[in-house]
Amino acid sequence: MSIQNLNTRDPFADAIKGNDDDIQDGLVHIRIQQRNGRKTLTTVQGLSAEYDLKKIVRSCKKEFACNGTVIEHPEYGEVLQLQGDQRENICQWLTKVGLAKPDQLKVHGF
Amino acid sequence: MDAEDGFDPTLLKKKKKKKTTFDLDAALGLDDGKKEEPKDDEADDTATAEVEDNLDLESFGKKKKKKKKPFNLDELENALPGEGDDIANIVATEEPEEEEINLDMDFSMAKKKKKSKKKDLDELFADKLEDERNEDKENFEGNTTTWAGSDRDYTYDELLKRVFEIILDKNPDMAAGRKPKFVMRPPQVLRVGTKKTSFANFMDIAKTLHRLPKHLLDFLLAELGTSGSMDGNQQLIIKGRFQPKQIENVLRRYIKEYVTCHTCRSPETILQKDTRLFFLQCESCGSRCSVASIKSGFQAVTGKRAAIRAKTT
Ligand SMILES: [Zn+2]
Repeated sequence: MSIQNLNTRDPFADAIKGNDDDIQDGLVHIRIQQRNGRKTLTTVQGLSAEYDLKKIVRSCKKEFACNGTVIEHPEYGEVLQLQGDQRENICQWLTKVGLAKPDQLKVHGF
Repeated sequence: MDAEDGFDPTLLKKKKKKKTTFDLDAALGLDDGKKEEPKDDEADDTATAEVEDNLDLESFGKKKKKKKKPFNLDELENALPGEGDDIANIVATEEPEEEEINLDMDFSMAKKKKKSKKKDLDELFADKLEDERNEDKENFEGNTTTWAGSDRDYTYDELLKRVFEIILDKNPDMAAGRKPKFVMRPPQVLRVGTKKTSFANFMDIAKTLHRLPKHLLDFLLAELGTSGSMDGNQQLIIKGRFQPKQIENVLRRYIKEYVTCHTCRSPETILQKDTRLFFLQCESCGSRCSVASIKSGFQAVTGKRAAIRAKTT
């Protein structure tokens, strides 16, 4: 039988193991991507899995008058994807509805 | 100098006696000069040598110093072989010639001097002029230490004032709250064809920011959510259409996160990788903090789905 207290434990073991801290860092990353021509795409990554993203996307589509979908990603979990540059809209909306605090939002892109 | 020469013989004697006792006094530090004074009056029965020593300590006025100067030079030469410390002391006491004001400062200086002077006695003479010039400066600083000539404790405000004066003195740049400003040429961004953008002076900018081009490239591409690479003429070709303004925005964010110090905003920083994390080490204020790692995160599938499907299968 081993005494657990005497085991040496590497406090950084978890950190080195994986770089999946995007989900844990509590930040909501809002990014923009260019498509062909002038078209763009907005992605929202890092919303808590407790929320029903399908419902969120439904109301977003209505609110911003754009199409959108929820994408299941093996690493980043469920990601919201909206057509067009909705960065401003989604930031305002998320804070208004109380899904995220302003300092939790991280907007990327140009 | 002429008058002083007359004193030389007596002084020589004094100094020689001094060497034994004086060292201790000097080594004891600032307060000695002051504490000695009362003792001196009372302790008449002590040896004359001691009295003379004390006199030296107290009467640091013009007279004494004038005497010391010519004398010390001789003395130094005499003593050169053996007693490095003594010489240093003597020089130290002798140096504050010009300023009679604060002996205590002089002594603290004497300590400093000792260290440097022990090294090379020959240098002593060569450096002498310089030292004296420095001395003037240091004495000027010393004047601000109002507690210098007294037994009382320094107050917090005095110390604060003193440290700020020293900081300002050593860093003239900081005067008038001048912020070190970043001067950077704007990015040269040109459209290449219809779907690509060229960032011509990318390498220059990476160089002015003192960052690895690779690091800046990773950030740019992650932020813009696109791909790109360097071409033959050291320019960056980015997929997608971007305005100079947009690239500038991204660069500004890069500078804020990875170039300027998060504490003092100084751009004199070093970015170093430690295990998995990047740390920003400030050259100005010494602060060190971890910075966000560059992650492109989720990338939506764009472009022709058919082509992608064809590639994967
Ligand atoms: Zn700093």
